Amino acid sequence: MAALQMSREWIGIQQFPPATQSKLLEILGKFKEEDVSSLTVLVMGKGGVGKSSTVNSVTGEKAAAVSTFQSEGLRPSLVSRSRSGFTLNIIDTPGLIEGGYVNDQAVNLIKGFLLNKTIDVLLYVDRLDVYRVDDLDKQVVTAITDAFGKEIWRKSALVLSHAQFSPPDGLNYDLFVSRRSDALLKLIRASAQLKKQDIQDSSIPVILVENSGRCHKNDSDEKILPDGTSWIPNLYKTITEISFNGNKSIHVDKKLVEGPNPNARGKRLIPLIFAFQYLLVMKPLVKAIKSDVSRESKPSWEMRDSGSANRRS
Amino acid sequence: MATFATNGQLTTLPGLLTTPYQLSTRRKYPAPSSSQELRYNAPPASPRFPSLKYCYTSPNRNTEPSSKDHLLKALGKSLVFGSISSIFSGGGGGGGGHGDGGVWRDLFSLATPVAAADEKHSPDWDSHGLPANIAVQLNKLSRFKKYKISDVLFFDRRSKTTASAEDSFSEMVPIHPGEAYTKAQLQKELKALASSGMFEKVDLLGNTKPDGTLGLTISFVESMWKSAERFRCINVGLLTQPKPIATDADMTDREMIEHLRSQEKEYKRMIGKARPCILPGQVQREVMLMLKDQGKLSARLLRRLGDRVEKWYHDNGYGFARVVNFGNLNSKELVCEVVEGDITRVVIQFRDKLGNVVEGNTQLPVIHREIPKQLRPGHVHNMNAANQALNNINSLKVFSSVEINPRADEKNEGGVVVEINLREADQKSAEVTTEWSIVPGPGGAPSLESFQPGGSVSLEHKNIKGLNRSLMGSLATSNLLSPEDDLGFNLEYVHPYLDGVYSPRNRVFKTSAFNSRKLSSVFTGGPGFEDVVPPMLVDRAGLKANITESFTRQSKSTYGLVLEEITTRDRNFEISTNGLRLLPSGGTSVDGPSTTLSGTGIDRVAFLQANVTRDNTKFVNGAIVGDRSVFQVDQGLGIGSKFPVFNRHQLSLTKFIQLKRVKEGKSKPQPPVLVLHGRYGGCVGDLPSYEAFSIGGPHSVRGYSMGELGAARNILELSAEIRVPVKNTHVYAFAEHGNDLGSSKDVKGNPTEAYRRMGHGSSYGVGVKLGQVRAEYAVDHNRGTGAFFLRFGERY
Repeated sequence: MAALQMSREWIGIQQFPPATQSKLLEILGKFKEEDVSSLTVLVMGKGGVGKSSTVNSVTGEKAAAVSTFQSEGLRPSLVSRSRSGFTLNIIDTPGLIEGGYVNDQAVNLIKGFLLNKTIDVLLYVDRLDVYRVDDLDKQVVTAITDAFGKEIWRKSALVLSHAQFSPPDGLNYDLFVSRRSDALLKLIRASAQLKKQDIQDSSIPVILVENSGRCHKNDSDEKILPDGTSWIPNLYKTITEISFNGNKSIHVDKKLVEGPNPNARGKRLIPLIFAFQYLLVMKPLVKAIKSDVSRESKPSWEMRDSGSANRRS
Repeated sequence: MATFATNGQLTTLPGLLTTPYQLSTRRKYPAPSSSQELRYNAPPASPRFPSLKYCYTSPNRNTEPSSKDHLLKALGKSLVFGSISSIFSGGGGGGGGHGDGGVWRDLFSLATPVAAADEKHSPDWDSHGLPANIAVQLNKLSRFKKYKISDVLFFDRRSKTTASAEDSFSEMVPIHPGEAYTKAQLQKELKALASSGMFEKVDLLGNTKPDGTLGLTISFVESMWKSAERFRCINVGLLTQPKPIATDADMTDREMIEHLRSQEKEYKRMIGKARPCILPGQVQREVMLMLKDQGKLSARLLRRLGDRVEKWYHDNGYGFARVVNFGNLNSKELVCEVVEGDITRVVIQFRDKLGNVVEGNTQLPVIHREIPKQLRPGHVHNMNAANQALNNINSLKVFSSVEINPRADEKNEGGVVVEINLREADQKSAEVTTEWSIVPGPGGAPSLESFQPGGSVSLEHKNIKGLNRSLMGSLATSNLLSPEDDLGFNLEYVHPYLDGVYSPRNRVFKTSAFNSRKLSSVFTGGPGFEDVVPPMLVDRAGLKANITESFTRQSKSTYGLVLEEITTRDRNFEISTNGLRLLPSGGTSVDGPSTTLSGTGIDRVAFLQANVTRDNTKFVNGAIVGDRSVFQVDQGLGIGSKFPVFNRHQLSLTKFIQLKRVKEGKSKPQPPVLVLHGRYGGCVGDLPSYEAFSIGGPHSVRGYSMGELGAARNILELSAEIRVPVKNTHVYAFAEHGNDLGSSKDVKGNPTEAYRRMGHGSSYGVGVKLGQVRAEYAVDHNRGTGAFFLRFGERY
């Protein structure tokens, strides 16, 4: 894998508090047990929802450039880190929305970037502190489905950022989280056209994330959510679960990038089609014209006089 | 993207001309006299022998002013006119009346007005010099006097009445009251009357008038024959007439009977040989009825029968047909002898500007094949056939003037020679035209700056080798101020009679080098997105060679090869590889669907193209009625950029259904018509975006702009229109629908979705046709809003 060569030693892991480090190493050990040497995580979502910040948080490095007030270009970036023979690839993507529509070029660039890679986990990122689900969300989900197929949602998790958020008017935090995630999941199911059975088979897990430096920490200095869970190990745990959930990873090949080539469809039938057209359309048409000619109502003077030779009775 | 342009161009219309049809007295028709026969004599007022002339003169397109007809000059650059040249028969026919002599010198010459004209120029007359109010026998008149005739009366001795005016005997006698005649002349007239066979007995009496003039009374006993049961009409046109043997006064009765018998035999043989007439059974039955109504055959009845028969001929365009004789009188079968006007020769002559006969460049078989069978020797000359020949020859576009001039054959009695006079147009011509066009300025409305001067130069070499082959070249630009922006050229060679000029097959080989520039209707925005999508130009330059076989004037099949280079450019004429989109930030995004198959902005491709058009439409009082089906297929051969293999096809069916029967004729109302139209287009294989089928536009779904509904791989369009005649034009209501059949996504880059188009849409509306312009109000069903449109030309 090309990404392997580019991978750097995962130094950032040492930035985590020891409690987190030990949990992560435990998870890495799991991969080793299963003889998996690398994991590729794709992070997608609208612009400004905290994709890059999440990448930075989970690597413990400033791997992805975060610019607070503007998008950082259209190119996706790969963060590849290896630790004791295991490589973690995280692909950060630019926001897909531009000028109120999904940017087709951005989608194409992402697809091109992912060519010949295998996506083990998709993290669909959105903010927790938003009340509504709108058409843009739908467009983004649809664009992802169109780009990688609906199968990708079986290998995905819904990441809600800005989790350290107090719901308005004394709404219960857990209730708000479930409402928010339900709304988004419903949208994903609709857009991805997952059947009921599919939903039962693999429900999409929800991960809460808080990237802010003001994130509360517990006694072991781990970043925690309002409910007290340490979210980074939790995220890794969920990722691991997804990667082992039995569904196939999505391999991005040429066919997937370019989509089905409509120009190739039916190409082999062309000689047959042409023969059909010649024999069953053009010939009958010419025949019909000829019969028109013979049936044509001629002016009476043309009919009357057949020439002296014929009239010599 | 509604671009509309009006051209204020002067055009030279090769319109159809009214054919001058002229009749003048030219020749007399002789027929043998026999005791059994009645020589039939046409009223002198009506033309005895018509001279017909059909002309077709097309406006001369020469640049040379001297070659232009003065009329043309007078009428300005662009007018259609017909030239009428008449043939003056002069006194030729009448003069012949004196020289013919013998049997011919009979009633016919008597009836010729020219014959009497000889004496007309002498106004002087002599008084009879007799007491008034006495009857004078003709032979009592003086030989040396010129008598002025005051009136002519016909007195039927059998009924003891003066013949009524409707019997129109007076037509037979060219003695006009108020003019002077000598005794010899009057005797001649009497003799002619007596030998006409119409009268058993005829006498001429003078009545002296107090003023010295003479009143004439022609007293007669009309000939009567036994009524016939059957009627037969024969064409005696080119038969050698049996020579009548002069009866000798010295013949004995027996000899006389023998003589009559032999004559009868001769006559029987003649009518046996004769061809039946083309007179239809219906008219023959009508004549039979006329016969039955009258118990006896009177001379006047025969006259009426003859008139009826001749009327049919003349009404149906047989201008040379004459009833010359009634034979077989006093028998059961009445024989009507007609000279129908058989064509003996067709003469094709080329004439120069001065009318001299010259050697033509055009090869004769080219003209021969345009002459309908009915205008060839052995057929009866018919005006309609001549007209068709005229139109056919003119549609060759080789001659500046075509005249068809039938005349009586001098060598062959009863024959007609068709003389075709042609003036060849200049083979080489050059033309320069200029025009103004209005293009929408900023904001869509035309402004003063948006008037563009355009122009074209064309050169033509016509009728190469006299086989109507032609080479044409033209160069045109819609903007003379910067022609490099938009320079169109076309070089075309046309080679007709591919199967030889004698073959009835009509195949034409055509090859051309061309270029064109069109605004792409694929790269255009949907509603609300129009301003975001900059225009894309599709330039095509290439070579084309095809063979067209025409089956009728409208139905044809074409097949050939096309080599093309397609270049897509943005509005600055820079090559563009992808569709463009203006960004809200002011920049331009170039991430749209790729414009070409190769992805470089330039495609080269070779493909076979075939087209079959079946068109049965015709005009019923100006309204088009009938069916039209067009099938076209472009078959890619894998030659070109990215080795394109494709099969692009479209089938369009249009039915114009006449909803009410109407009488056909000039200034009769048009019938109401229902138009049903369907079009399917599809492509299998490589489909570059510029070849995608776009939906929406005046020829697709009205009410939308070109391509407003999408561009797809497969499309279906359905439309219906009902036309109701109002005065000279019609009003109409229509409903249309266009659908991409879900195939927009099968075009690379999905231009329909990329530019926010619906992919399908309907519209309905009403309109009125005003000449070439259609003014219509169409409602766009996607948005539910209506708009008013002015369109040129037809929708279907």
